[in-house]
Amino acid sequence: MRKALALAAGLLALAQPCLAEEGYSLPAYTAAYEPRTVDERGLWMDADDYEKLWAGSPTRINDKELNDYVRRVLCQTVGRDRCASVRIYILDIPAFNASMTANGAMSVWSGLLLRVRSEAELGAVLGHEFAHFELRHSLKGFQNRRTTSDVMAWIEVLGSIAQRDVRDAQLSLIGSAYRFDRQQEKDADLLGLRYLGASSYPSRAASEVWQHLMEEADATAAGRKIRRQQRYQAGFFDTHPTELSRADYLLAEAMKIGDTGDAGAKSHYAAIAGQLPRFLASQTKLNDFAGTEYILSGIAATTGWTGELLQARADMFATRANPRDLITATTLYLNAIDAGYRRPETLRGLGLSLIKSGQREEGARYLSEYLEAVPGAPDAKLISFYLPQPTGNPK
Amino acid sequence: MRKIAIAGWLLFATVTPASAHKLIEPGPVIGIAKGSFSATATSTWNRLQQKEGKFQEIWTIDGDHLNRVIFLGGVPDGEPLLTERDKKRDPLPKFAAQMLLPDIPVLFERTYRSYYGTPVVEVGAMEPVTFAGEQGIRFEYGYTDTQDEVERRGEAFAVVRNKQLFMIAFEAPKLYYFERDVGSFHALARSVKLAR
Amino acid sequence: MDKVCRVFALFLFACCATAASAQEKTGIKQGFELKPGTARILLLEPSVRVGAQSTGGLFEPNADWTAQSKQNIERELVAIQGRLGNAIDRHELDATDSSADLRRYHALFGAVADSVIEYQFFPGNRLPSKKKDKRLFEWSVGPGLRALPALDGYDYILVIRTKDAFGSTGRKLLQFAAAMGGIGVQSGEHVGMAGLIDVRSGDLVWLNADLKMGGDVRTAEGANKRVRQLLEGFPGRGAE
Repeated sequence: MRKALALAAGLLALAQPCLAEEGYSLPAYTAAYEPRTVDERGLWMDADDYEKLWAGSPTRINDKELNDYVRRVLCQTVGRDRCASVRIYILDIPAFNASMTANGAMSVWSGLLLRVRSEAELGAVLGHEFAHFELRHSLKGFQNRRTTSDVMAWIEVLGSIAQRDVRDAQLSLIGSAYRFDRQQEKDADLLGLRYLGASSYPSRAASEVWQHLMEEADATAAGRKIRRQQRYQAGFFDTHPTELSRADYLLAEAMKIGDTGDAGAKSHYAAIAGQLPRFLASQTKLNDFAGTEYILSGIAATTGWTGELLQARADMFATRANPRDLITATTLYLNAIDAGYRRPETLRGLGLSLIKSGQREEGARYLSEYLEAVPGAPDAKLISFYLPQPTGNPK
Repeated sequence: MRKIAIAGWLLFATVTPASAHKLIEPGPVIGIAKGSFSATATSTWNRLQQKEGKFQEIWTIDGDHLNRVIFLGGVPDGEPLLTERDKKRDPLPKFAAQMLLPDIPVLFERTYRSYYGTPVVEVGAMEPVTFAGEQGIRFEYGYTDTQDEVERRGEAFAVVRNKQLFMIAFEAPKLYYFERDVGSFHALARSVKLAR
Repeated sequence: MDKVCRVFALFLFACCATAASAQEKTGIKQGFELKPGTARILLLEPSVRVGAQSTGGLFEPNADWTAQSKQNIERELVAIQGRLGNAIDRHELDATDSSADLRRYHALFGAVADSVIEYQFFPGNRLPSKKKDKRLFEWSVGPGLRALPALDGYDYILVIRTKDAFGSTGRKLLQFAAAMGGIGVQSGEHVGMAGLIDVRSGDLVWLNADLKMGGDVRTAEGANKRVRQLLEGFPGRGAE
C-alpha cells in the first residue's frame, strides 16, 4: 500500500500542476521510432512474425464496423498522434486479453469486447497496452528475463484473470509475446490512467474493468464451489499486480484526477451489436455457467434483457440440463420471442425444449418453423426427424 | 491428470517386453469398451492400452496420432464422456439421460473444447441413421489439436439407450489419413452391435 | 493420458528396461539410399517450441525462450547446410497461402514422427500389427505433397522439429524414476526429430528422432549440440 502511495506521489510530481477536469497533459510523442540495438532489432523481427500470424489467423474478425469502432476508441483514449501508426487485429477468442508488440501492432480478443461495459473501459485496456509500447517495456523486459531462471507462463496469468485455460499453442504464444514484470505493469496502469485523464473518458473506468473481472472470477468460483482468493500482494509467481490491488490504486488515482464524463456504455453495445450473438455463442460454449450468467447480467444492466441475451441465457440452461433447467430454458426462449427475437436458433432451442418437456406438438410446430427458416441447416435432417412423420411417430 | 500419468508409468514399469497393445485381426470382436459393444473387423487394428476415460476404448492402425477409433460404451446420466482433469477448476459437460439426439454433437463439441483446450471445434453435417440397430445420429466434425497443431477430421455415430450414451468415432489428420482410412471405419461402424 | 506425457513415459520405460536391444533412434525406408551430390533438397523453416510443462501435463509455450532458441538453431542450420552432401535450399514459412499448406505438412510430419517414436522405436510399445517385419519402415505424409508449387524441382524435403519443455513436472518424474531404482533422468522433455521426405510419394525415407536430446537450445552451445545430433547420419552426407 505504501508503495502505491509512493508511486502515486511520484506520478503526481511528474504531472503538470493543473489537475482540473482537462486532466493531465501528456509529454510530446515522438513517433517513427527505429530499433537501434541488436536486442531491439531481434524484438522487432519477432513482432513482425507475430503480426503476420495475427493477420493470417483464421480467428481474425475483419468486420469493418467493429474494427473502426476499436480504432476510434483507441484514438479517443491516447490521442490522434499516438494512434495513427497502430495496426489493430481483432481475434475471435472468448477470453479477456489485448496485447501490443514492439513495432506497433495491437491484438484485441473478442472476450475482451464482450466484457468491457463502455467505451471508457475499452479505452482503459487499450491505453494500458499502448502504455507498454510508449514506455518501450518489451525491450527492458526481454533483457531482464534472459537471466531469470524462474519464469511463469503468461498463459497461467491469463487463465487466472479469465478463469479459463486458453491453451491454443500458437495463439497463446501470441498472447504471451510481451510479458512484463510487476513494476512495468504498474507503470503501464498509471500511464494508461494519464491517457484517460487527458481524454474525454472518465478515468474511473480503469478501476471498474478490474472490479468486474474479479466479480466474474468470484461468480465462476462460486459456481464451481471453489473459494476464490483475492490476494492483495502479488504472489511469488505473479507478474501482474493482483486484481485487488490494481482496482484499488487505479481508483485512488482516478479520484485524484477527479474527472467525469460520458463513459459511452450504450454506444459500446451499439457498436458491437452486430457481432454480439457470435461472441455470446462462443462464451456459452465455455461451460462456465455462473461466469457467463455474470457477464450476461452485466450487459443487461445497460441494454436491458434483449433478445440476444435471453437467447444466450436460455442456451445455458438448456445445455446444463439440471432437473428444473428445462422449464427455465423454455420460458427464456419464449421471452426472447416476446422481445422480438425470433432467430432460427431460438426456434430450434424452444422446439427441442418443448419436446423434452413432453409437449411434442408444440415443439414440432417451432421446429417446423426452424426448418422453413433454414432448410439447408447442417442438422436439418436430424430436426425433421422430430416432426410428425407420415408413416408413424418419431421416437 | 497426474494420477493418470503415474498409473501409466507404473504400467510401463511392470509390463513385460511383449506389447501392452492388443492385435485385432479381421473377424468378430466382443467385449469392446467394458463389454458394451461387439463388432466385426474387416481389416487389422490395434487396441491401445491407454484411454482418456473409463467408458472409452481406442483402436488404431498406425498410432492414434494418425488414425484412431474411439468407442464410448454406456456413459450414464450425469457423467462426463472423458475423465476430468480437474473436477472443480476444469469440469467437463455431463451427459443427461433426457438429451435428444441433436444435443449429442453439442455435448461432444463442448467436451473436446474443454478437454483438448482447442478454441474451435466445428461440428458439420449431421443426420439420423440406424446405428447398432437403434435410431441414432451420425455427425461430422473437425478440430485442430493444440498440442501437435494438426487439423483433424472426425465422424461419429451415437445412440442413447437405457438412459446411457453409446458412441463410436473416427479421427484422423485432414491431410491424407482421414480419407485413406475412413472406409475401414465405416465397415466397422456398420457391424457394431450393442451387447444385450 | 496426454500424448506428450505418454511419449515421455515411454522414455522412462526404455531407461528401465534391461533388454539388450538399444533404443532405436533412426529409421530408414527399406532400400533407400542417397548418394552425395545427386539430389536437390528443400529445408523447411524448422519448428522450434520451447516452454514449461504445467502441472496438468500440458505444454505451455514461452515466447522468449522460443524466440531465443529458434535464433540459435537457425544459426546452426545455416552453418551446417553446406556439409550435408547435397544442394540444400532453405524455405521460409510465412503467413501466405502457399505457406499454409507447407505448415500443415510440417505439422503432419510431426504427428507421423511422433507415431514412429511411440509405436515403432520402442520395442515394448510397438503396435502388434507392425511387429511382423522389423525392417519395415512404411510411414508417409501422402502423395498430395508433390502438388505443392513450392516443391517444384525438389526431390526431398528436410523437416526439423524440436520441442523442449522445462518444468516442475519433470522434477516429479525425476523423483518417481529415482524411486524406481536410482536411474538418472533429465528433468523436463527435450524431443527432436529430423526427417527426409520423398516429394513424389510423400514417404518418409529417413527419420532421426530422439526423446532425450542434449543441449539447452536457449544457449548457443546447446543449439550447436542439438543440430549436430539431429543431423547425425544424414543420408548422402559424404566424408567430412
